[in-house]
Amino acid sequence: MENKPRLVLSAAPHIFTRCDIQKTMGMVIIALLPALAGGVYFFGPRVLAVAAVSIVTAVASEFVFRKALRRETHIKDLSAVVTGLLLTLILPPSSPLWMAAVGAACAIIVAKELFGGLGGNFANPALVGRGILLMSWPAFMTRWSPLVNAATVDATTTATPLGILKLGGALADVMKSLGVSGKPALYLQMFLGNRSGSIGETSALLLLVGAAFLVITHVIDLRTPVAFIATTFVTSWLFGRDPLFSVLAGGILLGAFFMATDYVTTPVTPAGKWIFGMGAGLITVLIRQLGNFPEGVTYGILFMNVVTPYLDMIVPHKFGYVKPRKVRA
Amino acid sequence: MNLKTFRGGIHPPERKEATCDLPIEHVPTPASVVIHLTQAVGAQNQPLVKIGDRVLKGQKIGDVDACPAAAVHASITGIVKKIEPAPQSNLRDGMAIFIEADGTDETAYMPPLDPFACSREEAIKRLRDAGIVGMGGASFPTDVKLAPPADKPVDTIIANGAECEPYLTIDYRTMLETPAVVVEGLAMAAHILGADKAIIAIESNKADALPGIQREIPAHAHGVPMEAVLVATKYPQGGEKMLIKAITNREVPSHGLPFDVGVIVQNVGTLVAISEAFIQGKPLIERGFTVSGEACRTPKNLYAPIGTVIGSLIPDVIQVSDDLRKVIFGGPMMGVAVPTLQTPIAKGTSGVLFFNTAEATQYEERQCIRCGRCADACPVRLMPMLMNAAIAIKDLDRADALGLIDCFECGACSYSCPARIPLTQRFRLGKDLLRNQRAKEARHGK
Repeated sequence: MENKPRLVLSAAPHIFTRCDIQKTMGMVIIALLPALAGGVYFFGPRVLAVAAVSIVTAVASEFVFRKALRRETHIKDLSAVVTGLLLTLILPPSSPLWMAAVGAACAIIVAKELFGGLGGNFANPALVGRGILLMSWPAFMTRWSPLVNAATVDATTTATPLGILKLGGALADVMKSLGVSGKPALYLQMFLGNRSGSIGETSALLLLVGAAFLVITHVIDLRTPVAFIATTFVTSWLFGRDPLFSVLAGGILLGAFFMATDYVTTPVTPAGKWIFGMGAGLITVLIRQLGNFPEGVTYGILFMNVVTPYLDMIVPHKFGYVKPRKVRA
Repeated sequence: MNLKTFRGGIHPPERKEATCDLPIEHVPTPASVVIHLTQAVGAQNQPLVKIGDRVLKGQKIGDVDACPAAAVHASITGIVKKIEPAPQSNLRDGMAIFIEADGTDETAYMPPLDPFACSREEAIKRLRDAGIVGMGGASFPTDVKLAPPADKPVDTIIANGAECEPYLTIDYRTMLETPAVVVEGLAMAAHILGADKAIIAIESNKADALPGIQREIPAHAHGVPMEAVLVATKYPQGGEKMLIKAITNREVPSHGLPFDVGVIVQNVGTLVAISEAFIQGKPLIERGFTVSGEACRTPKNLYAPIGTVIGSLIPDVIQVSDDLRKVIFGGPMMGVAVPTLQTPIAKGTSGVLFFNTAEATQYEERQCIRCGRCADACPVRLMPMLMNAAIAIKDLDRADALGLIDCFECGACSYSCPARIPLTQRFRLGKDLLRNQRAKEARHGK
């Protein structure tokens, strides 16, 4: 008995799920691959170079920063890969590679590591990265390359559907730019994703495929995306915009399913999730309608990230706190 | 099929296939036993015997004049060799009586008693004298549980056959092999309580225990309205509050007890002990338990005297592999890892699990990523990640407001945490800190 290794002592429970952070992040990466593939299909293989630079820079930034601070490195948890990939999907297809690198480094170091690494950040790293790039190089961030197999062949740049509206255009102008006529054809074109926009935001179909995978595997909760999309739909309609177009345009679906469901920076409480989604949707539409930018998903989500600690105070009804049955006096 | 259940919970691998088809095996009388004086929630017992005394199987050897408490009895006939502290399955290492068998099997049981004919006080006293406690793991004295205060009438008694802990199959085998005894014990408990009806709840993965129980109800229910129902297979379905919610849709109030909603829950093993205490006059001196785990070469359902040192069954009854790294008394979700094989079987031991190196893996804890899986898993609808954050910054008032005391430590949050945070352990610690803080506040008249 004596020469045997001693028995391990630990508090209950003694068994654990196999689903750890790495597996969770791996699922998110798998769910984002269809959107990335769509980006390659619509905007050409250069998109892969943007993705590679963004992901490698994100992972390297995390590794170097933590090493420099003599902290444990956790790049194997794949969270930096997710950040790099998400940033890729919200950059314009023509982004310079150096800009993707700056964005990824900012996302990891400014938004995440300065606040203590995964779990400590209060704002979505990829969105912070994009926000910094948008303020620093607005020209690059609003230059939209034409589609590889575009119907329009006239220019080296083009405008996004939301951009056309912001410049005073009507839905008819959007249809013209996409070479379609009639609303059903417009919706279909936008659902499939054959339009200009950020690398991974254009195809509703491919985003929904990824989102369905995450819902089925219980990685994400549907409350926030449903509230986000429904609010965008309703408030756009109240402003007199075409509601279905408003949901398909810009980054609503990418934001609702993959950014507003980020674990760390969004509420954990059910009521908080509903409010987060509604707030993000409302701010997005307000920026689109009243602001200078054509699109507002980035700032809509970032704003709600900031109020998340307050939304976490709305805790659900606990077990055993039922009102006592009235006793006869 | 829409089975009754509660909200939340988890689906860990069941791991019951190793033992679910194996009949309960009686172990040969051990050469010695180590019987802890106090094995129940409540007051500390005093020894009633001295070193050198000869004691008979069934003889009371420890008791105290207090309530709640449960007497302990000699589980074999022999000589008292020592009375000293010994390793205990709850890690308290309390005082224990060491008995060496003398090879005879004289018994000193009580005379049989008919619970349906005797007075309620006599029946309660019998449970007290028999030292019966809840055998599902909590070890609460059964005589106290079956005598709720007069202003809390109990209309329903539930037999807990959920056995939701992975690996364990002893309750299932008990229901399968001796359904009549289970039904009889339930009828007795219902009669003592004055309950209007009795319900036997079985998880759906043990549905083949249902027909046998149903067959015995007409002959052994003694006129108590009784039915057997299936509940969803989900951990912790066998938790008292969860089972009551599933069966009656009543929620035991926070800080309350089951009788506050008119319900009492008894584990099926306890019901067998109740039946034996009346019909045979036999105190709680033996029990069934499952031995399993990857480091156990001979997974089994065993029946042994209480006080049997688990190591004494190795290798004659149980064989373990060289890769044994962890020994757990109870189930893998709520059981206790013990430091030595010299630990004896107690009244509350429903299983002994032998884990190998792979199963005993300790994970590196990471920062909370707020995925919310702990909240989805929590059967009492708490927010474990928020409670953990509150405890981390020593904000115990916030943790209290979030329901820290309502946590019953089922382990579902720790199980499901992808960041491997030992949430349940933190809450156990947090509760102690909170109680200390409240006591300090009371002393300073706050």
